[in-house]
Amino acid sequence: MATDSALKVIFEHEGVFIHPNTEEEGTEPDLLVSGSLRILEKDAEVLVDFRPLEDPVDPSNMLCAGQDSSSVVEWAQCPKEKHQSHQLLETQQSYETEWDMLNAVSFRKRSSARGEGLLNHSLERSRWAFSVSVSDLRSITVKDEGWTFVILQQKEPSTSLPALHFHQGGSREFLDNLRRFALLTESPEDETCLEVSTPNRALSQSFENLLDDNSFGLIHKFRRDPYVATFGGLSKVTNYIYDALRGAEEQQQQRPPEEVADLLGEVIPGLEINQQEEPGFEVITRIDLGMRPQVTRREPLSADRWSKHLDMEGRVQDVDQLKHEVFKGGLCHAVRKELWKFLLGYFPWSSTSEERRCLQRVKIDEYFRMKLQWKSVSEEQERRNSRLRDFRSLIEKDVDRTDRTNWFYEGLNNPGLTLLHDILMTYCMYDFDLGYVQGMSDLLSPILYVMENEVDAFWCFVSFMDQMHQNFEEQMQGMKTQLIQLSTLLRLLDLTFWNYLESQESGYLYFCFRWLLIRFKRELSFQDVLRLWEVMWTGLPCQNFHLLICCSILDSEKQKIMEENFGFNEILKHINELSMKLNIEEILQKAEGLFHQIRSCKDLPHSISSILGLDTGHQRSDPTNAGAVAASQRAHLQNICSNGLGRENGSQNSGRPAFKS
Amino acid sequence: MAAKKSTLKVILLGDGGVGKSSLMNRYVTNKFDAHLFHTIGVEFLNKELTVDGYKVTLQIWDTAGQERFRSLRTPFYRGSDCCLLTFSVDDSQSFLNLSNWKKEFIYYADIKEPEKFPFVVLGNKVDVAERQVSSEEAREWCQENGDYPYYETSAKDATNVAVAFEEAVHRVLAMDDKTDYLISTDTVRLHRKPRSATTCCS
Repeated sequence: MATDSALKVIFEHEGVFIHPNTEEEGTEPDLLVSGSLRILEKDAEVLVDFRPLEDPVDPSNMLCAGQDSSSVVEWAQCPKEKHQSHQLLETQQSYETEWDMLNAVSFRKRSSARGEGLLNHSLERSRWAFSVSVSDLRSITVKDEGWTFVILQQKEPSTSLPALHFHQGGSREFLDNLRRFALLTESPEDETCLEVSTPNRALSQSFENLLDDNSFGLIHKFRRDPYVATFGGLSKVTNYIYDALRGAEEQQQQRPPEEVADLLGEVIPGLEINQQEEPGFEVITRIDLGMRPQVTRREPLSADRWSKHLDMEGRVQDVDQLKHEVFKGGLCHAVRKELWKFLLGYFPWSSTSEERRCLQRVKIDEYFRMKLQWKSVSEEQERRNSRLRDFRSLIEKDVDRTDRTNWFYEGLNNPGLTLLHDILMTYCMYDFDLGYVQGMSDLLSPILYVMENEVDAFWCFVSFMDQMHQNFEEQMQGMKTQLIQLSTLLRLLDLTFWNYLESQESGYLYFCFRWLLIRFKRELSFQDVLRLWEVMWTGLPCQNFHLLICCSILDSEKQKIMEENFGFNEILKHINELSMKLNIEEILQKAEGLFHQIRSCKDLPHSISSILGLDTGHQRSDPTNAGAVAASQRAHLQNICSNGLGRENGSQNSGRPAFKS
Repeated sequence: MAAKKSTLKVILLGDGGVGKSSLMNRYVTNKFDAHLFHTIGVEFLNKELTVDGYKVTLQIWDTAGQERFRSLRTPFYRGSDCCLLTFSVDDSQSFLNLSNWKKEFIYYADIKEPEKFPFVVLGNKVDVAERQVSSEEAREWCQENGDYPYYETSAKDATNVAVAFEEAVHRVLAMDDKTDYLISTDTVRLHRKPRSATTCCS
């Protein structure tokens, strides 16, 4: 492949402008030259190539044939914040992405009648075409005037090429793609200036060099999965490259440009998520991952194996080992009822069987005290308590509509329904600020199914809700955070796909909402939900592993989504319809593989390592990890036990069979 | 045909549990599942139909009804051609909330002339014996609020479901005759959709 002399389009962006009047005297004052900026690899050389749009198609550039000359755009809207003309480079980058959003709505295609006048300058315009080798570049100056423009400075002769104005965004992607072939370092004298240096190695090697100390060549990966390997650029570029690999006969599939423009209009207002958390150079928009290692899953932990983990007093001997086994294989159903209580943090890992019995007795009392609170509310009281009334009404409606095909909840007078209802009502008493929010019944249902006991199910649910609480709060902060984190991960893991989603106004990953709100409860069969959840509750192999699970599912779907050019609606529909079609073991395998890839990545950006909790040596801080709180929990437990024993006889509820059928 | 939109976006709004998803499923698949999950997030289904000689793809959007999820559902209101305000005749609260739903829709869908926008009101679950909302009350509300068409439906036994959706389509087409074309990006977008819409509804 290194000797392949075929032209390869690394990056392409239309809607890059040259403003001739500011470059040179004697040109038409209003002339803007709109063109297409590309990074090309040809004969072991990497070129930056600018071509005004109406230039005749160069027959050697077959890959770019078919580009639509009608893509002349006008600036239909005033720049939002023109006064910010002297932005530092650091802030410019995050700023521009906001612009991408604005641009998406502000640019309209000109009607052909109005466009005609502009198009009649081809002679004049072709003067502005240029092509320069990256190795001939001395520096790149990046400035901002409400939009971004860059000036390429050549080494020999030491002249500037005309400034390129990115009125439709894309400067960041351009620079990111350049960074693959050249080192861009901020000049000490001028922060807007990036000095260009190219490595000594032959540029033809640049693909392989991306993976530096990794023996797996990118080209190999490229053949295996062009989407993974094609970093950067617009989805269109991906299509070009992909089509090139598949052969020319499939080139018809390219999306008509007018549809792209049109789809860009589908901006979703309302949900305001600011994705630009990392300022300036922290925005590293691509990482090079090595091969994904093959991961094998193991058999579920058996009852026999579980009992071997306990010492004479019923203490778990090696918590880390146990968690690891659960992570790798999940649990046999018989073990779930007991082990879930540990995984969820209801039982402390360090407790003895006796201590756990004490704990349960106390927790039974505590539960029924709370249950009595709502049970004893009179009709009169409830009439004056609209919040309680609303909670009750919602719970009643949702219990009727939760897992009703599962034997545990099916039929009309199934006790499972009553328990689901009562636990949710009691939870309202436990946390009246939150009360009941749709989705909570989905989280409780599997827990109750496994526990077959009202009180244990309640306390396990409380623990689970401690993790999930933010998802359900008024501002849904948990959801916003997760969507941002997922977007950050995806952008770095798979820029091509992320760009595609962006181009379809789906960069906010709306379509993952249900996945995240209730941890895939509606996406998987009931049994698979049990498996997934117990694996996640181990807190292994990193914090926020569920986000890697999202990435793993998206990785399996991206090809279809991009090949079929799904738009915003189709993506949503496609993802919604994956429900009950997913294979949990495959997903877990891929997600774990993804984790290994990320962990072995040398220059992991801080944003990623902090999401996954990989930056510091110490353990993650998720609530299922008893580690840090073990000591205080233990003191609390001993306290409970000494008090609890004295009250044993007085506790009227302690012997009550919690699960009646 | 060329002058008509071929995809119409219709959105179902109303309190949780009034039967929005069931109405949609009944209409599109002609099935009723008493054990359907409550909706989390946003979903939509497509249905092809011919009305007044026009082939139309009806894109029916279904949302989660709980207040908490407002910020999730409201972005999807944009570009709706018709809004089906839904309540359940056995739930007076859901009836009382109709005006809130209407307000929410007009605000977030950014409807410029609310008095001209085609709303259709559905009183669902008429198969249930214990009614809390009478036909008269419902009709009165519809009359006072803009003379909206009112249908008493049952997703369970299919009463009036198809009629109600088709009325929605008629209303939209009638609107189009009057204003011919609304110059908004949303309209353009919907107009653009037929190719992709047909791909995904099969």
